[in-house]
Amino acid sequence: MSDENGDAIVAKGLTKRYGAITAVDHVNFRVPSGSVFGLLGPNGAGKTTIIKVLTGLSDMTEGKARVAGYDVRKEPMHVKERIGWVAAEVILDDDLSGWENLWLQAKLQRLSGWTARAEQLLEYFELSDRRKDKVGKYSTGMRKKMEIALALLHQPSIIFMDEPTIGLDPNVRRMLWKLITGVNREFGVTVLLTSHYIEEADSLCDRVAIIDHGKFVATGTPSELKSRVRADFIELETKDEVSEERLRAVPGVSEVRSQGKAWILKVSSAEDVLPGLFAALKGDVIRRINVEKPSLESVFIDITGKRMDQAGGGDVQDFRKFYMQVRRARQ
Amino acid sequence: MSGETKVAALPSVHAVRHGSAWVPQGSQFSGLYLREIIKTFRNPFVIVITIAQPFMWLAFFGSSFGNVGNSAFFDQTVLHAPVGTTFIQFLLPGVLSTSMLSIGMFGSMSTIQDKRFGFMKRVLITPTSKATVYLTKTLGSATRGLVQIPVMLVAAWAFGVPFLGGVLDWLGFILGLTLLGVGFSAFFLAMTASSTDWQTPGVISNFITMPLMFASGALFPASNYPSWMQLIANYNPVGYASLLGRQVVVYGSFDWTYLGYLAVFAAAMLILGTAVASRYLKVE
Repeated sequence: MSDENGDAIVAKGLTKRYGAITAVDHVNFRVPSGSVFGLLGPNGAGKTTIIKVLTGLSDMTEGKARVAGYDVRKEPMHVKERIGWVAAEVILDDDLSGWENLWLQAKLQRLSGWTARAEQLLEYFELSDRRKDKVGKYSTGMRKKMEIALALLHQPSIIFMDEPTIGLDPNVRRMLWKLITGVNREFGVTVLLTSHYIEEADSLCDRVAIIDHGKFVATGTPSELKSRVRADFIELETKDEVSEERLRAVPGVSEVRSQGKAWILKVSSAEDVLPGLFAALKGDVIRRINVEKPSLESVFIDITGKRMDQAGGGDVQDFRKFYMQVRRARQ
Repeated sequence: MSGETKVAALPSVHAVRHGSAWVPQGSQFSGLYLREIIKTFRNPFVIVITIAQPFMWLAFFGSSFGNVGNSAFFDQTVLHAPVGTTFIQFLLPGVLSTSMLSIGMFGSMSTIQDKRFGFMKRVLITPTSKATVYLTKTLGSATRGLVQIPVMLVAAWAFGVPFLGGVLDWLGFILGLTLLGVGFSAFFLAMTASSTDWQTPGVISNFITMPLMFASGALFPASNYPSWMQLIANYNPVGYASLLGRQVVVYGSFDWTYLGYLAVFAAAMLILGTAVASRYLKVE
């Protein structure tokens, strides 16, 4: 199911405000049917809110969205029949068995002949022998698999995955990546996933939108985005303060930004610049040094001036402060 | 078991969706209602609490006049009942009715739990309406409330309550209790539709239970009340259920007006509550 022009999701001017806080700020995007689209950004950037609005869990403040060919606001039930959802925190009814969770999902999606498919899903996720156990007794990985089985039961045309691999061990994570790609390629299911793991977005997504403070700061294929940044970044932390001028004077350094006690240097090529940098810092104690070659992380650094894991939208105070600044700037 | 050893293929069988549903939301309704019932019987603790309270009332409060013996004065002046009526006999319908006041509390608490654990999101991301969620929670609560009736009847029999009235009279009384339970569950769940605080149901329960219990005629006849309390009792559905039951238990007769009043109460609460919940039921 998709719009006439083959888009599974179309969002125009999508905005969600919670009181004075704008969690999603006039976001526009299209997700072509059958593709994997990633929302990449730090915690609190608005990724989950976008999923909530698109799935009809939360009403949008402004804007328009069509999902699976239907208007999210006007025809929410049609949308909900055609989407699957995998929550970041794994939501199941722990008092019910695996099979009973599938049964309930079938009831909620008004399925009649569903048992054969449910059996296959359990088989695929290696959960068949635990089907009668309460899911409260499953391991984290098993619970995640169960949740994905629920999301696939009614053959959705779009699956929303909120931080699909957060808190999973590398084995399960790899298995899940394979599954996401498999579901997408074999069934043509469109996948919209959010992540703050660079590698995840890089390896899984056909297109990625980098999101910060509720706004899309860059959109494109992972390789397009990476090719935008024709530079390396060097993060540097020293024991005593180093003046900005000294860093700027190092040959090959094109930009210097401070991030707390650390510096982020934009350089032509880290291999060429590092010898000069060490020479310039001969008398200083280097606490930490990190080289970021072109990656989605360096795209984020280039645009926002900070690392994704340090953007820390989880810090509400910062979030508020940021929006106070934005509001002041607008006035 | 790593991904490399995987043999099972991705599912190839398709599930079949019901065509146009005969009853809109019927499938979602039966699924969620059954979930309530399954969960109730997996948490016997809730049932024990539900039964314990009315049982204590019957056993302890009901025995408070045990030494009065067969007093014609007590029966006629205090209970306004025929001579030979025991206080436990008089009290049984009142206690059963009163216990329907607080059953909505457990329904509210389980709704808040669903919100807190995110399960409400899982439900509302499927084509399930908020009204369906609300109605299944309400009926689930009322059903839990009915579980105590057989236990209480056995207890009453053990205390020597004579079973006057025919089977139909008793079924009518149980129907009345069901309507009362539905009405108060509907009220409770509508009041807490937008709440995510564990403590709200307890606060509401405390606030409504005492006044509605005492100003109902459930424990003593309302004709002994001062006029302001009689005024409350005249509109109090707990009173009507108590009177309905007392007709059966003490006189062996049945009054349809009381049942009609309870039906109106339940219907009104369901309609109002559904309207409130469709709008204000919080997802998380």
